Amino acid sequence: MSKTDTDKAGSREPHNGEPISKFVIIDGNELHFRSGETILQAAARADIDIPTICHDPRLTPAGACRMCLVEVEGARLMQPACAAKTTPGMVVRTQTGKVERNRKFILSLHLADTVQDRETAEDNNPSKLFELADRYGTAGEWTQVESPRQGRSQDENPFIEFRADRCIACSLCTRYCDEVEAVSAITLAHRGAHTTISTVDQLDLTDTTCELCGGCVDVCPTGAMTEKAGLAWGKPERELEKVRTTCNFCGVGCQIDLNVDQEANRVVKVTSPPPGTTVNDGNLCVKGRFANDFIHHEERLTQPLVRGEDGELRPTSWEDALDRTTKGLLGVAERHGPDSLAFISSSRCTGEENYLLQKMARAAFGTHNIHQCAAT
Amino acid sequence: MTNSIPEIRDADFLFVTGSNTSEAHPIIAMEMKRAVGRGAKLAVADPRAIWMTEISDWHMQLNPGTDVWLLNAMAHVIVTEGLESREWIEANTEHFESVRETVLRYPPEEAEKITGVPAEMIREVARAYATTEKAGIYYTLGITEHTTGTDNVYALSNLVLMTGHLGIRSAGMNPLRGQNNVQGANDSGATPVYYPGYQRADEAEIRQKFADHWGVPQSETTGLNLNEMMKAMGDGRLRGLFLMGEDIVISEPNVGRVEKAMNELEFVVVQDIFFNESCRYADVVLPAACFAEKEGVFTNSDRRVQRVRKAVEPPGEARADWQIILEIMKRAGLKQPNYANVREIYAEMASLSPKFGGISHHRIEKEGGLQWPVETPDAPSTEYLHKGGVLRGKGLFQAVEFRPPFEVADPEYPLVLSTGRTLYHYNAATQTRRSEGLSKKQPEAFVEVSRKDARKLGLQDGQMVDVVSRRGRVRCRAMVSRQVRRGSIWMPFHFPEARTNYLTTDAGDAVTGTGEYKVCAARLEPVQDSEPKQVFPGAFALAGEA
Ligand code: SF4
Ligand code: SF4
Ligand code: FES
Repeated sequence: MSKTDTDKAGSREPHNGEPISKFVIIDGNELHFRSGETILQAAARADIDIPTICHDPRLTPAGACRMCLVEVEGARLMQPACAAKTTPGMVVRTQTGKVERNRKFILSLHLADTVQDRETAEDNNPSKLFELADRYGTAGEWTQVESPRQGRSQDENPFIEFRADRCIACSLCTRYCDEVEAVSAITLAHRGAHTTISTVDQLDLTDTTCELCGGCVDVCPTGAMTEKAGLAWGKPERELEKVRTTCNFCGVGCQIDLNVDQEANRVVKVTSPPPGTTVNDGNLCVKGRFANDFIHHEERLTQPLVRGEDGELRPTSWEDALDRTTKGLLGVAERHGPDSLAFISSSRCTGEENYLLQKMARAAFGTHNIHQCAAT
Repeated sequence: MTNSIPEIRDADFLFVTGSNTSEAHPIIAMEMKRAVGRGAKLAVADPRAIWMTEISDWHMQLNPGTDVWLLNAMAHVIVTEGLESREWIEANTEHFESVRETVLRYPPEEAEKITGVPAEMIREVARAYATTEKAGIYYTLGITEHTTGTDNVYALSNLVLMTGHLGIRSAGMNPLRGQNNVQGANDSGATPVYYPGYQRADEAEIRQKFADHWGVPQSETTGLNLNEMMKAMGDGRLRGLFLMGEDIVISEPNVGRVEKAMNELEFVVVQDIFFNESCRYADVVLPAACFAEKEGVFTNSDRRVQRVRKAVEPPGEARADWQIILEIMKRAGLKQPNYANVREIYAEMASLSPKFGGISHHRIEKEGGLQWPVETPDAPSTEYLHKGGVLRGKGLFQAVEFRPPFEVADPEYPLVLSTGRTLYHYNAATQTRRSEGLSKKQPEAFVEVSRKDARKLGLQDGQMVDVVSRRGRVRCRAMVSRQVRRGSIWMPFHFPEARTNYLTTDAGDAVTGTGEYKVCAARLEPVQDSEPKQVFPGAFALAGEA
């Protein structure tokens, strides 16, 4: 397999090895496609951008937001590109006046349904609606509609807050919870303008089947589902720096983005890289996403300690601690031979650190007694 | 793993054994859910009714420690029904006959008596596995943490070899690593038997190569594995210990003995991010940086070398582990290149290890994670192993016979205790328990008990109970659960106040030394007058309970 295949670790392209032979015409480009592919997928391969709101490559299309409507020759109504399948010889137009007008109209409908002031709307996560508004020049063209959605402000779960006034009922969160995490902890409730995101009996998330994966936060385009940690810190995500790194828990090796407030030297929260770009395909589990309090925990060791004559551990300088360490180890080796020493390394440390520790055991202290707690 | 994580979604048959995937590897479980959603068949072999059994086509609920019987019986079905892949065996393997003869003595009907799995189910699963092309096996510590761990792995690989489910996409043999960088630590040579890149420490030529490069002669004495180290600490062969990032006083089996031995040591150094339990025995404690505070690489389960990047400064005077080790080496008098950064350290390892010869920080920056083997700078990343034939010559069949676990239930200790992980905590929970949120979701230790055993003992859900084995006693809450069957109990090992490793045995696997965390004999003694409290609201295990 080539490099590109590896990089597309999470792509949704069918891998059935079927040759791409049929074609469809999009904006005058003759494009090949695989059977089962949607207009959106075929267009993406030709870098034709179709705006979406309720679409996610990991989920079955819902066709809920109507943002992605395009013209298909011979069809009476415009078709949702995220859901409509390509057929041989199909002719699609994505840049006509009609399509553009629809985009503006749909966008202003959704914008009227969410918090009006951009700064407030993006107090934590960025809003896809405002990003699209930038692109389609629709900012300020709508009038606010009072949203009657019911929230769940009493939910005491520690991680996720649902803010009903921003929800546009696109159902990305509930579909993610159903289809990817497969626990169905949250669900669409009520009808029409009252449609909201709820749990069984309005329970706290921690009392439901929710596994606190945070996927619902990541897919939400409006910031309605949001992390409490980011809210509490009080700086919008836009002002944080994202540092891409590898999760330090299990062996899946999820890529995560540490969202850092540089001024405060602080990891504020963790977000997932977009789907289709890394091994975890945009997903994270509760540990990777939320178990990061330890980084800045007050109980972190901050000073070297040595045991004094009286048997107590006391703070000391690095010089002293390193000298004591070296002398102590060399002393044991002198008295009882190098194989009386053992070095236990950790899968929690990096590859380079493991390399150095085994080098230290073998080259500096002359023993192969080096292992790690691989079992647990 | 011989395959890659993203290949899982395209598999047509998944055999998951000894892996509580949705809790220990949630992201891999998502891929499995996706495959099942597409129509793939799923067979789960596990003593517990773990979440994955909710969506499985077959749940083979075997008695703990009877894996070899089950796997050999599956092989029995394959060879007696002629489902093996003759041509592939011929071209790629050796010693098939010995396995054939052995497994003939493991008929499914007998297996049913010993494993508790219906013979018909064994047949169905074996047939489905053998006749599906994209059939992958996924396993973790439920297979390896036994005194017969190595046998279990051989029994699994026999199934792979006889069906030829290797060297193609979405099929193969996939151990899922429990910790972020277990693969990387092994790759880097943090093991007594291998230098970096799986080059054998008992081969003179290899030793010479490292001696030449490092400028120091290399010892010819075989090193001790972890399990042997723990024993050598007890009998005075070991006198000094250097611990980097591990808390053996929590993580090692039969921990009572480890603690005693730690007291006897002359010199102990602990290097960690928190004051862990092992620090109580340390002469020197060195404060280390955590993953968010340093540069380097981790290698995940599918051999993918990925970057760790520094986001923030470490607290106080804490330093990155690599910087600390370099200082000690310098003081111990080892002449070293003047490494300016970890990139140069990686480059040294790569230059000495053909398997990673083509990997560098530079390439990872440019191309994203690389899956080894990558032998040259222009070689591509390796998505799955054994493409076009078994690596390094022929795949060896290894006949294995069933051996009972080290300890079996008896009238005094009538229950079989297994230990494992939960979704919400990680290892000794030094990190996860410092998360307020996770502690709220799963605040305290518990032991899962079947309804039948609970009723027999007069034990209520949420009542305090003592779990007792020949080695120790710990107290925690009882969780009456439909996940475990009668005769079995299960505990997570994350909670220091109820350390399961006071109970487990330190009998190790003969080859790897891995402790038998999955089976030991125990009994429960309900604590009278304790106020029952539900331990784990919203847990799947309780779903469906009245
Ligand atoms: S955190 Fe995950 S499991 Fe919980 S509601 Fe959100 S998507 Fe569902
Ligand atoms: S909470 Fe967000 S993702 Fe869920 S329906 Fe509302 S807008 Fe969509
Ligand atoms: S993105 Fe297609 S309907 Fe919402």
